Amino acid sequence: MSRLEKRQEFANQLRALVPQGQVLQSDEDLRPYESDGLTVFKASPLVVVLPATVAEVQAVLKWASKNSVPVVARGAGTGLSGGALPHEEGILLGLAKFNQILELNSEHGFARVQPGVRNLAISDAARPHGLYYAPDPSSQIACTIGGNVAENSGGVHCLKYGLTVHNVLAVTVVTIDGELVTIGAMGCDNAGYDLMALLTGSEGMLAVTVEVTVKLLPVPPVAKLVMAAFDSVESAGDAVGKVIAEGIIPAGLELMDSPAIKAAEAFAHCGYPTDAAAVLLCELDGTQAEVEAQIGRVSDVFNACAATQLHTAQTEEERLLLWKGRKSAFPAVGRLSPDYYCIDGTIPRRELSKVLSRMDELSKEFNLRIANVFHAGDGNLHPLILYDASVEGETERTEQLGSQILQLCVEVGGTVTGEHGVGVEKINEMCVQFDEATLQQFHSVKAAFDPVGLLNPGKVVPTLQRCAEFGALHVHHGQVPHPDIERF
Amino acid sequence: MTNDASNELLGSVREHVVNEQPMHIVGGNSKAFLGCKLSDVDDAATVSLNNHVGVVNYEPTELVFTARSGTLLSDVVQTLKQSGQQLPFEPPQLPGATLGGTLACGLSGPARPYGGAARDHTLGVRVINGKGELLRFGGEVMKNVAGYDVSRVQVGAYGTLGLLLEVSLKVLPLPETTLTLAFEQNEHDTTPMVQLARRFLPVTAAALIGRTRYIRLAGSDAGVQAAAKELGGERVVDNEPWQGLRDLNHEFFNDPRPTWRISCADYTPALTIPNDEDGQPAKVLYDWGGAQRWIKTSLASHALFEIAANANAHATRFSTAMNNEPSHQPISGVSARLQRELRTSFDPLRLFNRSRFHPELDS
Ligand SMILES: Cc1cc2nc3c(=O)[nH]c(=O)nc-3n(C[C@H](O)[C@H](O)[C@H](O)COP(=O)(O)OP(=O)(O)OC[C@H]3O[C@@H](n4cnc5c(N)ncnc54)[C@H](O)[C@@H]3O)c2cc1C
Repeated sequence: MSRLEKRQEFANQLRALVPQGQVLQSDEDLRPYESDGLTVFKASPLVVVLPATVAEVQAVLKWASKNSVPVVARGAGTGLSGGALPHEEGILLGLAKFNQILELNSEHGFARVQPGVRNLAISDAARPHGLYYAPDPSSQIACTIGGNVAENSGGVHCLKYGLTVHNVLAVTVVTIDGELVTIGAMGCDNAGYDLMALLTGSEGMLAVTVEVTVKLLPVPPVAKLVMAAFDSVESAGDAVGKVIAEGIIPAGLELMDSPAIKAAEAFAHCGYPTDAAAVLLCELDGTQAEVEAQIGRVSDVFNACAATQLHTAQTEEERLLLWKGRKSAFPAVGRLSPDYYCIDGTIPRRELSKVLSRMDELSKEFNLRIANVFHAGDGNLHPLILYDASVEGETERTEQLGSQILQLCVEVGGTVTGEHGVGVEKINEMCVQFDEATLQQFHSVKAAFDPVGLLNPGKVVPTLQRCAEFGALHVHHGQVPHPDIERF
Repeated sequence: MTNDASNELLGSVREHVVNEQPMHIVGGNSKAFLGCKLSDVDDAATVSLNNHVGVVNYEPTELVFTARSGTLLSDVVQTLKQSGQQLPFEPPQLPGATLGGTLACGLSGPARPYGGAARDHTLGVRVINGKGELLRFGGEVMKNVAGYDVSRVQVGAYGTLGLLLEVSLKVLPLPETTLTLAFEQNEHDTTPMVQLARRFLPVTAAALIGRTRYIRLAGSDAGVQAAAKELGGERVVDNEPWQGLRDLNHEFFNDPRPTWRISCADYTPALTIPNDEDGQPAKVLYDWGGAQRWIKTSLASHALFEIAANANAHATRFSTAMNNEPSHQPISGVSARLQRELRTSFDPLRLFNRSRFHPELDS
C-alpha cells in the first residue's frame, strides 16, 4: 500500500469511530500539526484525529492498539522538545476539543478540567473566588493542562509553590488498549504506588490524559517585586544563595543576563536597567506583615552583594510589567535574531559561574551568541542560542552547541532538562546522563503501561543502540559499555 | 558515623536474586508494625541497611540534602537543624527510624497538607532493583524531568520497587516563629479546617481532637503574629499536639485497639464506623485538616476497607498484623493491572518485601 492509500484507509476506518470532520488527512489540514514549539523537527502524520469525547479517545486508542498504529497526543503544541512531533506512520491525536472546565469547586479548592483547557484559563476562572492554579509557565496563555501534566511544567513561581506534580490531585487517563482509569485521589495520597507522580512528566508515553483535577490555592493578599541590578552575573548568583541562606523562599527568583535584559527591555519597555550585567527579579508574597518584613531583609542582602540598583515595584501595574518583560524573554530574544534555540538544563546553583564562563567560551568557539534567562532559585537555566537557519550549517552548529551545554549541565551534577522534557530533542543527551541499566529500567516502566510501544514511540528514552551510535554512554570503571553492540 | 556499604549490599542482593531468595529489607526496624506479614515468606533473608549510613552531600544554600538510606532520621533532623533547615514533610521520628525506611513507607507528619509529602520533596534516589542492578534516578537538583519520575514512585512503595541506597531531598529553612492556637468546636466537624484552607494564612498544621481544633502557624514572626491576631483562639504552650501526632505517641494512640489511618478528601463528612463486637465505640482523631483520620477500632480489616472505599478514601492499618489480614486498602481493576506490571518491571520475581505492601500485586 502506498502512503496515500494507507492514509485513506486509516481515515476511512477512523471516520467510523469519530465524526467525519474530526479526521483530517489533506496536506493543508495536516500542516499545522507538523511540529510543536521546537520547529527544527517536522514530520507529517498519516492522519490527525480530533476526538471530542472520552469514548472517542477510547475507540481511537483501541483501534490503534488492534492495528499496531503509533499515536502521538498533542495539546497546544507549545512544547519545546519535540514531544508532540507526529509519527510519520501514525495518528496525531489532538486534544483541542477538550476545552471545558467541568467543575470549579471554590469551597473545596479544586478544579476538574478537560486536558485541552489552557493553563491561564483555569486561574482566570478561579480568580473571582480568590483562588488560582499555581504553576505558571511563560507559555500559560497558550499551553494546555494536559501538556503541563505530560511535561511536569514549571513556572516562575515554582520555587515556592511547586511544579505541576505538586499541584495536581488526580488524572483520568486512557491506556493504549482503550481502558479508562483514574489515578490519584482527592485526599493527600492514594492506595498503592504513586502512579500520579509517574504519569506527571511522562511526555505522553504512558497514557492519554482525558481529565485533570488541579488544586486551587488562595491568591496571596500581597505580592511585591524587588528588582536588583548587578555589575556581574556572579554577584547576582551569589545574592540568590544568600537570600536562601537567610531562610527566605521568595515566590519567584529570576535572573537575566545582559543580552536577555536588553532584548526584554526593547520588547516590553518595562524599565529594566539596560546597562546592568545581570538583573534579579525577586517576588515576595504573603500577608502584608510578612511581605514587608521580607522586603527589608532581601533588600539588605542585595545591598550587601553590591547591587548597583534596587527598586521595588510601586504599583501592581508596574509589578506585572516587570514580569511581562521576563515572561516574554523568549520572543524578545527572537527579535534580535532570525532564529533562536532554547536550552533547558538544571545545575546546582553553586556551579553557576563555572557554567556561565564555560558557556562564554563555547559561544566564542561556535561563533554563536547566547542570552541567558535563569530560574535562579531552583537552578534551571535557559540559555537562548541566537542563530540564522538560512545560513548554511548554522542550525547544525546550534544543535551541537546546545548539546555541549546540556552535557556541561550533567558534568556539573545537573540534568539535561528541568522542565521542557526530553522529547526527541535531548534523546542523545539521555545517554550521557543515565547508564545502560537505568535506561533499560525506563524502557521496562514504559512497557508496563504500553507493552508494544505505540504511544509516542521513539521519544524520551533512547535505545541502547542509539546510545552506542551517539558514542557517549557512561564508561563505568573503565569498561566499554555493551561491547556486544556494533559501532557505526 | 559514615559508611558506604553499597557494594556489599549489591553483592548480597545479587546472590539472593540468583537463588531466587525473597528478602526483607530492614532499616531501623522501627516500622515493623506497618504492612502485613504473610506466612509464605517466613523464610525471607534479611537485608539490613544499618551499616549503610552517612550524609553524602549537603549544601544548605542549594536546599538539597543527600544521605545513605540507613542514616538515622534523628541524625538527619539534627544535621539540618544545625544549618537552620528542616525536612518540610515532618516525618515521624520513631525510635531508630532511618531515612530510607521513612521514605519507603512514605510517611509524612502533620505538615503534609501545607508543606507537601515525602514524595513531594524527593529529588533523586539510588536503588538496587529486583534484578540486582544498581540504578540512579532523578538527581540533586530541584527541577528535573529527564526520564520518568521513578524517584517519587519509590516513595511509599515499601521497598517493593527496589532497595533504596541513597536519597536526595529538597529541604527548607526552619520557620522563624511557630505557634499553636486552640479553639472549641463541635466534635467530628472538619468544616472550620476546610474553610481555613481556602484562606491565605501561614498555617502549617490543623487537627481536631475531640472538641478542640488546633491550628499551627509558622513562618516569619511578623506574618505569624498578624495571622494569630486575625484568628483569635487560645495560645497553646509547647509543641502540642503536633509532636504526639507526628510520632504516633499522642495519648489518643494509647487505646490498646489497632490503629487505622483513613486518607480522604478533607471535606469528607464524618465516617460512620460501627461499634466493636463488644459494643465499644470507635475513636476518631482528625489530622491534616481533615484529610487524615486516625481510628481506633477492633473491626476486621475488610470492614475498614469498605468504609474507606465508600468514602472514596483508602485505609491502612498501623498496627501489627491480625490473622494475616492485609494492611493496605486492596487495589483492583485497571489500576491494579498497571501497578502489578510496574512491580514486575522492577522486581519480576517479587523478591523484595513480598506480600508486605499489597499482596494482591504479588500473586
Ligand atoms: C514561549 C514559550 C515559553 C515557555 N515557557 C515555559 C515555562 O516557563 N515552563 C515550562 O515548563 N514550559 C514552558 N514552555 C514549554 C511548553 O509550553 C510546556 O511544555 C507545556 O506544558 C506544553 O503544553 P502543550 O499543551 O503545548 O503541549 P504539547 O506541546 O502539545 O505537548 C507536549 C507533550 O505532552 C504530550 N501531551 C499533550 N497533551 C497530552 C494529553 N492530553 N495526554 C497525554 N500526553 C499529552 C505530547 O504528546 C507531548 O509529548 C514554553 C514554551 C514556549 C513556546
